[in-house]
Amino acid sequence: MPETPATRPRRRAAPLAAVDGVTLVGDTEVTAVKAVHAADPYLDGHYPEFTIYPGVFIMESVNQAVDEFVARRFGAGRIADLTTVKSVRFTTPVLPGDTLQVSCTILADGDALAVNASCRNSAGATAAKLRLSYGVVDGGGR
Amino acid sequence: MIDHAAIRGILPHRHPILLVDTVLEWHPFDRIVTTKAVSGSEPCYAGMAEGLGRSAYSYPKTLLIESFGQSGAVLWLESIRTRGESLDGTLIFAAARNVEFHRPVHPGDTVRHELKIDQLVGANAFLSGRSLVGDEPVMTVGEAIAVIRPNGPAAQEA
Repeated sequence: MPETPATRPRRRAAPLAAVDGVTLVGDTEVTAVKAVHAADPYLDGHYPEFTIYPGVFIMESVNQAVDEFVARRFGAGRIADLTTVKSVRFTTPVLPGDTLQVSCTILADGDALAVNASCRNSAGATAAKLRLSYGVVDGGGR
Repeated sequence: MIDHAAIRGILPHRHPILLVDTVLEWHPFDRIVTTKAVSGSEPCYAGMAEGLGRSAYSYPKTLLIESFGQSGAVLWLESIRTRGESLDGTLIFAAARNVEFHRPVHPGDTVRHELKIDQLVGANAFLSGRSLVGDEPVMTVGEAIAVIRPNGPAAQEA
């Protein structure tokens, strides 16, 4: 079975594998998808009566998409370290059965990344918009 | 002090995403101080590669924000309850601005969240605050907005 971000051992702590696949588009764009399952880690507690993919997990999906961009563009030993959430808005719920679609534009200035991300649910409704800053740092590499 | 059993009576979140352990101080409709102890046995440390260095075990910042947000939910929900009212809907995390991270959090650290309600406008609460380990700031939150949404799965989010 080919390794994907969802199956390979994690190189950093994360609440869940929040992207199934990541695609780099040119030098400044990255897209990712995440099929949301009720059995995903942490979701049985959010909430017991009905399951919703938490807003911070949408942010986690963006983090992991950016992290994959950094691993491919800057080297496997480097990670994207979230330094600032400039703004985030969650507008539409993402539910089990939805496939979250993440689209990011990334502007790199040395080791500083400015990321604008837009996330949609399966129906195409905007689930979240995020403006985030990251630093590219040495990861937990060996 | 509001202990963990009481927190479970206030928040709808359950293990393992119930991320507030205790409430040290709270003042209705004003401010709250909570704690969250981070442990290496939490699910976010499962499935990691071997041989990683220290930075790999930094507690996920997304969970830190969630823990901060749940602390705000405890403050607001418990404030409403002291007025003899109950919430007609579900509290959700709607937006945030100017959240900055200063220092990583690692297993063994206990995070203390100190936050206040800056403004209540209808079904919206505007919160701000900071999170510390000991005396060291780990996160400052310029603004976080929680919203009460009517019940029913179609109306829920985040």
